Amino acid sequence: MHDLVLQTVAKLIIPFIQLFGFYIIFFGHLSPGGGFAGGTIVASSFILYALAYDVQAGFKRMPRLASKWLESMGALLFVLVGFAGVAMGGSYLANHTGLLDLGEAGTLISGGFIPLLTLAVGVKVASTIISLLYHLLEEKTNV
Amino acid sequence: MTHLPIIVVALYLATAFALPLLGRVKKLHTGYFSLCIATAGLVMSLLTLFYVAREGTFSYFPGDWPPPVGIELSVDWVTVLMHLTINLIGLLVLFYCIEDLSSEVRPGHETWYYTLFFLLMASLNALAMAFDMFTVFVFTEICTLAACALVAIKPKALCVEAAFKYLILSTLGSGMLLLGTSLVYMVTGHLNMGLIGQLLPQAIDLYPLNILIALGLFIIGLGIKSALFPLHTWLPDAHSSAPTPSSALLSGLVVKLFIIVVGRIIFQVFGSELFLMIPIPEVILLFATFGIFAGSLMAIAQTDIKRMLAYSSVAQVCYIYMGMALVSQTGIQGGLLHVFNHAVMKSLLFLAAGAFIYKTGIRKIEDLVGIGYRMPLTMAAFSVGALSMVGIPGFSGFISKLTLAFGALEAESPFFVVVIIISSLLNAVYYLPIVLRGFFGRPATEFQWDKLPLLIIAPVLALAVINIFFGIFPGSLQELARLAAETWLP
Amino acid sequence: MFETLINILSALVSNMHYLTAMLLFLIGFHTMLTHSNLIKKIIGMNIMETSVFLFFISIGYVHNASAPILDDRVAAYVNPLPSALILTGIVVAVSLTAFSLAMVVMLYKHYGTICSDQIMRLREEEQ
Repeated sequence: MHDLVLQTVAKLIIPFIQLFGFYIIFFGHLSPGGGFAGGTIVASSFILYALAYDVQAGFKRMPRLASKWLESMGALLFVLVGFAGVAMGGSYLANHTGLLDLGEAGTLISGGFIPLLTLAVGVKVASTIISLLYHLLEEKTNV
Repeated sequence: MTHLPIIVVALYLATAFALPLLGRVKKLHTGYFSLCIATAGLVMSLLTLFYVAREGTFSYFPGDWPPPVGIELSVDWVTVLMHLTINLIGLLVLFYCIEDLSSEVRPGHETWYYTLFFLLMASLNALAMAFDMFTVFVFTEICTLAACALVAIKPKALCVEAAFKYLILSTLGSGMLLLGTSLVYMVTGHLNMGLIGQLLPQAIDLYPLNILIALGLFIIGLGIKSALFPLHTWLPDAHSSAPTPSSALLSGLVVKLFIIVVGRIIFQVFGSELFLMIPIPEVILLFATFGIFAGSLMAIAQTDIKRMLAYSSVAQVCYIYMGMALVSQTGIQGGLLHVFNHAVMKSLLFLAAGAFIYKTGIRKIEDLVGIGYRMPLTMAAFSVGALSMVGIPGFSGFISKLTLAFGALEAESPFFVVVIIISSLLNAVYYLPIVLRGFFGRPATEFQWDKLPLLIIAPVLALAVINIFFGIFPGSLQELARLAAETWLP
Repeated sequence: MFETLINILSALVSNMHYLTAMLLFLIGFHTMLTHSNLIKKIIGMNIMETSVFLFFISIGYVHNASAPILDDRVAAYVNPLPSALILTGIVVAVSLTAFSLAMVVMLYKHYGTICSDQIMRLREEEQ
């Protein structure tokens, strides 16, 4: 499975896919999109790479262990950021405690730790989808 | 206001996500780490009990957003009772896991088991206090996925098949739950249970059909998940083939939490007046009555001990539904009491049966003759559970059945007292022979002590002690259940 | 006579989205429960969930309104809550599908078939 056209196009298009994915993640608190949509887009770039080249090449770019760690880390980050609200005297996930500046609505650096939560969701979703694909692809090579 | 209830959920979730990472550190035993976390959870739910007893019940708003915008978590007496049940049973089952798991799952999969365990515990704790339809939906799904995975983790095709059946039927249930939620949202514009409850009396005049269909969908959808009698078909397969700790968790806790959600929807969203207006209580009572008899009769016919216990669960779940559908305060009190007592009894029975299988490999009931000579302590604990199921005075099962019977009298339907008495006799038909043959059957070997690992025998004995304790001193538990029933039906 | 027919038809047309959702729900329900092919069961599960999502989203639809992004030129917004909730629902559906497919793979490896009737027969032979 070495298609020159596919591989060249993939090489060209993957950076843009990833850029778009991160754009969607970081603008999650300003426009439609956010962690889930952006995470899926970022994951799709890795999936494209693994499909266009080979699963083994995909493993080299995004090792299984790394995606496993990112999966846990993303979810842990979300839960732990929630505790920041409790530590600052508000409720769980409270964002108005002044820990991070709420900023001006509509600008990129605003919304307290909401961008942080979106990032956590994005990391978690991207790595989960990559691991899912790895599981399914491996299943195929085994049989 | 205290943060403890949500900290329990967040702690369990964080543990679930951290365990796969910690599992790579060879020196740390993930089982003992899990035990520490579960103990912390139990301590926190006890502290919540003391806090609520002193300061009164409260609502918790994550992110400090009050209801029309944000999510509400209600920390009332039902929540307190359920959190205590979940964390107590969960901790004791976790003790049992540490030794037993190596014989049930593939080597190396223990860490994943603990991850799933904590996901399940987090979702159960959250379901107990969720006061928002969509929060209920999300945690229902997490709970279903974790529960199915806890069945399928055993490397046997039988378990995977049972889990698949469970998953398909559960998905049907959650689809109905979401459809019902959308119908209610359509007419009220709210997802918060309290706000829906305020608007429904006006909305029922305008859109009666929507609301009735929604109620029906809620009851059928959650009825599938909590194995209300004609919808119970997935339960015997899933609960009997699963690894023993999973069986104890599924039968003891998972099924109950969905009943709690049904109770919240009936009494706190729709309200008892609306509920009594249409003949839904009668239908539930009919199903429950049939279920009590059918479950017991099918349990009599079983030859596999875990399958028998699973069918017994079908019957016992119907007691709780009966308590709620009687719509009397004592009935609900009895139902909630039975939630706790049955969780203790059934996990005790499943763990004891698992100990038989662990030691001897016997699953057939007829082969258990004389087991009391080989494993006297385990068999004694099993007998405590069995006698409690039958409803012998002095065991906790008797207290909840008695309260249920008083509830039936309070609702002026003495027919259900007869149902309870007859079903107790049916319970005796399949539980007592095991006890009698276990102790008085012809012994195959010389008398010997159990020689089980401490971590297996200790939770079994602890559950037996809890059972007897609440059978002889039911006062505090009765009071807790009464307060919980008052939140539903003042 | 003719007018009542027109009334009924126009009611049907104006409530098209509800009807479609209910029809899809029933199709999914039927596929899920009656087909013996496990993959078809999963497809039915997805159709059923999609129908509920469609229903929920159609509740939040406002005629001639724009997407809920803050903008001075826009008068009315579509209700964003159902869409946001359904995004969560879709995530749940994806994980359910992935999990059930993984179980089908395991069953296929063991029994060599994905027909639930045959699996049941094979299981009874095993026992």
